[in-house]
Amino acid sequence: MVEPAALKKEKEARLIEDVLAGRHDQFHELIAPYRRGVYLTAYDILQVAADAEEVAQEAFLKAFRALRSFRRESQFSTWLFRIAINEARMKLRRRREVPLETVFPGEDEDGDYTPLMLADWREIPSEALLREETRRLVQESIAELPANYREVLTLRDVNGKNIAETSEILGITIGNTKARLLRARLMLRDIFVERTQRKPAQQPSRGVAP
Amino acid sequence: MKLDCKHIWRELSNYLEGDISDKVRREVEAHVAQCRHCAALLDSTHNVLVLVADERRMELPGGFNARLRARLVQEMAISSPE
Repeated sequence: MVEPAALKKEKEARLIEDVLAGRHDQFHELIAPYRRGVYLTAYDILQVAADAEEVAQEAFLKAFRALRSFRRESQFSTWLFRIAINEARMKLRRRREVPLETVFPGEDEDGDYTPLMLADWREIPSEALLREETRRLVQESIAELPANYREVLTLRDVNGKNIAETSEILGITIGNTKARLLRARLMLRDIFVERTQRKPAQQPSRGVAP
Repeated sequence: MKLDCKHIWRELSNYLEGDISDKVRREVEAHVAQCRHCAALLDSTHNVLVLVADERRMELPGGFNARLRARLVQEMAISSPE
């Protein structure tokens, strides 16, 4: 029996052959499953919808032009996401926002990040907040992460890439991917908790004795 | 061996991934059963990641696919893959 993943790979290989043989229109079908993921990845890194769309478009155009250089040993999606990440990084660089390959102290060790211990730490009000409000807070929290943490988080936790693929896309070792992911997750959780606790709903009541 | 809180933080991500040996998993669970800080940390991190994953359902901007297609068609008219 053929597994779905193998089937997908076969179909992609056929589409790639078609495009390279001159049936360019097949490229639309080839990339259709990845339009959303590439956009989301760009969005998570750039945090501006117009920039994310521009970067996503540029990534697909580059992928089309460079299709002949795609090496079959990696997955098409891995190759595509690597192009998208590079485009997003270039955009960040043009914005002069963040130093790119920032290595945070201790990242190669096992990440001695100390999580915040807040008085009200159990409060992650996924139900207490309106859905849209929660979504906005998550997005704002992601935006506060350093760029290379946004990258690893969007690949693994938003796009659901596995660790091996995430490390291949980012061009870093599996160990570094895991260390970076751990930091990104702990830091995101801290930022999110802080933000939710800053909500006006938590205003202290005045003058009431316990 | 009994794990201290710092060890739990280091293993937290692997634990959530299920990428952990049975032995370490049992040690993490034993620690968390009696350390409310680490229990909360584990819960809240898990919850945040559920919210993050929910982002997958975010809508693409209106007309995104059409605009992408149009740009690609334009490109295809003037170039071929190299």
